[in-house]
Amino acid sequence: MPVEDYFELLPIILLGIFFFAVTAYMLYWAANKGHFRNMDAQSKVIFTEEEPEGEFSDSFPEKRKR
Amino acid sequence: MSNSSDTSKTSVEPYSTNDPSIRAELSEIDRSIRSASIFFTTSAILWLLIGTAFALIAAIKLHEPGFAAGSEYSTFGRMRAAHLNSMSLGFGNNIIFGVCLWIMARLCRSPIRHGGLLLIAGAFWNLGVSIGIAGIVKGDITSVEWLEIPRYATPLLAISYILVGVWGVMAFRFRKGEHVYVSQWYFLGALFWFPWLYVIAQIMIIWAPAQGVIQSVANWWFAHNVLGLWLTPMALGTAYYLIPKVLGRPIYSYYLSVLGFWSLALFYNWAGVHHLIGGPVPVWLLSAGIVASVMMVIPVVVVAINHHMTVVGLHREGWRSPTIRFVVFGAINYTAVSLIGSAMALRNVNEVTHFTHFTVGHAHHGAYGFFAMILYGGVYYMMPRMLQREWPSASLIKIHFWGSALGILLMVFSLQIGGWMQGLQMNNPEIAFLDIVQNTMPWLKARSVSGFLLLVAHIAFAVNFFWMLFAAGSVKAKQTPTLLNPKEEGVA
Repeated sequence: MPVEDYFELLPIILLGIFFFAVTAYMLYWAANKGHFRNMDAQSKVIFTEEEPEGEFSDSFPEKRKR
Repeated sequence: MSNSSDTSKTSVEPYSTNDPSIRAELSEIDRSIRSASIFFTTSAILWLLIGTAFALIAAIKLHEPGFAAGSEYSTFGRMRAAHLNSMSLGFGNNIIFGVCLWIMARLCRSPIRHGGLLLIAGAFWNLGVSIGIAGIVKGDITSVEWLEIPRYATPLLAISYILVGVWGVMAFRFRKGEHVYVSQWYFLGALFWFPWLYVIAQIMIIWAPAQGVIQSVANWWFAHNVLGLWLTPMALGTAYYLIPKVLGRPIYSYYLSVLGFWSLALFYNWAGVHHLIGGPVPVWLLSAGIVASVMMVIPVVVVAINHHMTVVGLHREGWRSPTIRFVVFGAINYTAVSLIGSAMALRNVNEVTHFTHFTVGHAHHGAYGFFAMILYGGVYYMMPRMLQREWPSASLIKIHFWGSALGILLMVFSLQIGGWMQGLQMNNPEIAFLDIVQNTMPWLKARSVSGFLLLVAHIAFAVNFFWMLFAAGSVKAKQTPTLLNPKEEGVA
């Protein structure tokens, strides 16, 4: 590919534009769906009734008793 | 912006309810992805051991050139490339597929569909990496750093990426609930970015190579983005899930976490060109790369504040958790390595560090001290929930942690102190080049010592993992809510 022949880069440039457009659309979609509102509540979605907020969920295994 | 729960006063008792009906959801999700995750994690650990062996051979050769010198298969160039690809593609990608896809499934709150797709992707992936590494050792290596795998193996890797990407889209499409947690943003971003990076780099460098400096620009755009837009978002997404999850405390500021993700997405893509500072590359391109590298301070500081403020006050409790030990160590190193990286992009600093061991230390700091340590934490959290068993040995976990932590710190300090001195000496025309090479020897020997520490850590990790995996009868069952289902209550 000759350095000066930028037309050969056109598919890559078009692909870049496409992916940029997808990213911009995702940002719009996220804002539109309310993902940037009420963030304190959203930070708690990882907790469930079985792994609830306010409790540790990991510790070293107990020493094995022989 | 504040932590609403005071978990410091609660008992370290993870199992909060005896009602099996409310335990079912996560158990079902974990079970649905169990085969794929265990397959990927097992593969990752095997590649970790193989990659460590290659690393030790390459490290020792730098100060003992006669070591393993009897065969063309074990020359430094091949061993070094075999190590890099075993670790990045073999260990790194398999552990990402094992841990991050599991977290993704949990956050989508729905049992995964078409788990077989992931197993097929895993088979293609490991076949492709195996052929690629064998090709490197055989001598079919390309001359391009981070893309050394010979071209006949890369289609298998591309197919695997596509299958994982399709799975990711499907998991997201069929998720329950509307909300997208910040970890999902990171994972989705990485799954979206990496195939693009890989395919473009393959086309422009291997299949239809561009001429001249364009090839170098494409090379470092790709290589740096492997760290920044693949390993980094996967590790950060894991940390954003595990730190609040284990501590039972929501992330300090969800707003900052979202800001961190979008600023990473905007700035990082430009940063890689700073590897070519001083080279015959248009100045505007280098300047753009330097500016983007310095702009990366924003997401880094954001993440540092968020992680620190989430853990603050709970350090003692966190120390009791293998997961938190590894993840917090990785998160601290993310801050350190990223700020050092931004500084290295400055022209006057780069004048010293370029072409020295400082850069090698920096790469290991990021890929191991940050990425690998966080993903180890993910494995320690995931496996008991997958297998319904406890880790067999707390001592082996501690050996793994201390071996890894001390090993990587020794490596980073020795290579970066030695590399900085090497750079200063190389800029001094009064000092002969061979003298400079001799002066690096103590630092390279220290690096080999660090490699042995890491080897011990990896063996401890592998023994504990396979003990847990295959010796079911001798391992204590773990009574966690995630492991139970209504039919097996009390059995897990």
